Amino acid sequence: MMKWMLAAGAAALAMSAPSAAERGGGKGQKGQSDQAQKSDRGGGGQKSHAQRSGGDQGRQMRSVQDDNRGGGRGGDKVRMSNRDNNRGSDRVRLENRQGDNHQGNQGRGHNAQIVRVDRDGDVIRGHGEGKFARIEGDRIFRVRDVDRRGVVRFRDVDRDDLFVRQLGYGVGGCPPGLAKKAVACMPPGQAAKLVGQPLIAATRLGALDSLPLSMRSLFYDNDDYYYRWGGGYMYRVDRNDGLISSMLPLFGAALLGQPLQPQYLNSYYRPSYFNAFYPNSPYDCYRYGYGYVYETDCMTGMVEDVIPTYDNGYGIGQLMPSSYGYYNVPFAYRSYFNDDDDYYYRYAPGSIYRVDRDTSLVSAVVALLTNGLSVGQPLPIGYSAYNVPLAYRSTYYDTPDAWYRYDNGYIYAVDPDTRMVRSVEYVIV
Amino acid sequence: MTRNVLGIALAMGLIAVSGCNQNDQSATAAKGAAAVKEAGDKTIAASLDQKGRFFTLAKAAGLDATLAGPGPYTVFVADDAAFDKLPAGTLDNWMKPEARPELTRTLSYQMLPGTVLAEDIGKAIDNGNGKAELVTMGGQTLTATREGDKIVLTDGSGGKATIAKADETLANGVVHRVDAVLVPGKTT
Repeated sequence: MMKWMLAAGAAALAMSAPSAAERGGGKGQKGQSDQAQKSDRGGGGQKSHAQRSGGDQGRQMRSVQDDNRGGGRGGDKVRMSNRDNNRGSDRVRLENRQGDNHQGNQGRGHNAQIVRVDRDGDVIRGHGEGKFARIEGDRIFRVRDVDRRGVVRFRDVDRDDLFVRQLGYGVGGCPPGLAKKAVACMPPGQAAKLVGQPLIAATRLGALDSLPLSMRSLFYDNDDYYYRWGGGYMYRVDRNDGLISSMLPLFGAALLGQPLQPQYLNSYYRPSYFNAFYPNSPYDCYRYGYGYVYETDCMTGMVEDVIPTYDNGYGIGQLMPSSYGYYNVPFAYRSYFNDDDDYYYRYAPGSIYRVDRDTSLVSAVVALLTNGLSVGQPLPIGYSAYNVPLAYRSTYYDTPDAWYRYDNGYIYAVDPDTRMVRSVEYVIV
Repeated sequence: MTRNVLGIALAMGLIAVSGCNQNDQSATAAKGAAAVKEAGDKTIAASLDQKGRFFTLAKAAGLDATLAGPGPYTVFVADDAAFDKLPAGTLDNWMKPEARPELTRTLSYQMLPGTVLAEDIGKAIDNGNGKAELVTMGGQTLTATREGDKIVLTDGSGGKATIAKADETLANGVVHRVDAVLVPGKTT
């Protein structure tokens, strides 16, 4: 029972909404002013991050309060951008015919409501069932709601081709609506097809930019290759032929609100911690695939969240998902890793990450953690060797009555006869 | 008076008994204290050759901060020659972004949680009828056995590495130098 409660707690922590974002690990009572500032600063939550580092976009979103009407104009622009994007795509054209895409809606005068946000703060709205915002250029977002103050909250963006349009550095390669939930916006299968193609193929899907400074020490341009990033992926381009030679998903693989595709999953492998961290409930079903944990709605099968894991390459240079918008570093490590003005720290299965506030990119893996021991459970295979840190060996040494084992900041007592973990003896803080 | 004497005698007896029990452990404790003193403030990251292959790869995987962090970890560090023995192109491949999963799995396979001295591995081997399973930070295990007076680690792929220089104690763990790169078994 306790195990389930702990597991559920861990899962709840891992799944919590970014609204809880705050600077963690501080020395206690810096107080609420600090937190209030944080909601402006970015605090790790993608929502606020998008406002801060998104710069112009954040201001545009807030500027909706100065709205005007004029859906026709917005509709035209949307239609035009859509045509550009969908050229040659039968699938997307079909979606348009079904009226699933805003192009169809507006083109036929189906009362689609358009929210247009320009740099100068003008907003043009139409009427109808769907609401879409077009922000400067080709960026098109589905509007989730507009509150009384006129602040627009964006939801997922139309269809996957549009997801990745004109997305650059600043919002983590995703539109604000997606960045809030934070996954890369391109499914891996689609993305992989870009390898071997000219860089322009990727540019069609999303604006690319030079790497942020924090990444250049890792992926520096040289005589053979140069790097660009956008749309949730980083591209390495061969200077000789100008073709994309490889790409790194900055984070994520699936599309929120989309059905979980079988190819995202690998059936025969699951990390050992999977069940403990992600127990299924009647409402939330978790699946694992190639380094990502997918939280899906059990009823619909739609992806609700995507969570990275360390052991499949998640780490430095990748985007920290906004579901990690709160300080969740295990207590034993909190004295070491406090959020500060430049970085915040987040725990995800396998490790503690240091995340750059400006980019939301993981800049370092500051600690690796194991799957953990738990009191009342048998000592897992692999802990037969005494491993207590040197400084604690004078107190916690193996005797015929008790063994001591270190794990993730804790020293546990183990019954030598039954090999059961008996208690937590010491917390190294 | 008699009661006092009895009490003192009992207390001394207890001390004596506990002293007997702790003879063995006090040596361990003393060794631990000495090791802590010797370790000083130097971290695992600082102890490694900054231009060596292991640390270069650790930096590529973002683990240099881990090795400079609180730990503690036990790290089996293969020398450059051992890395050179890997199949041609392996190192170059590991430096590529798309090989990050393989690199992180490999590096975390060289690390154990906590501070495990060679003596501790030796005892675990003796208690385990000749072999000991050691859990790594990546979750997979290594198998330790004795070959002569050396400790040999067998990895998930069947490869073997011998601890060539043991017990380099540091502020955040211990480094054992090994003569081969430990390669985890396939997970998928």
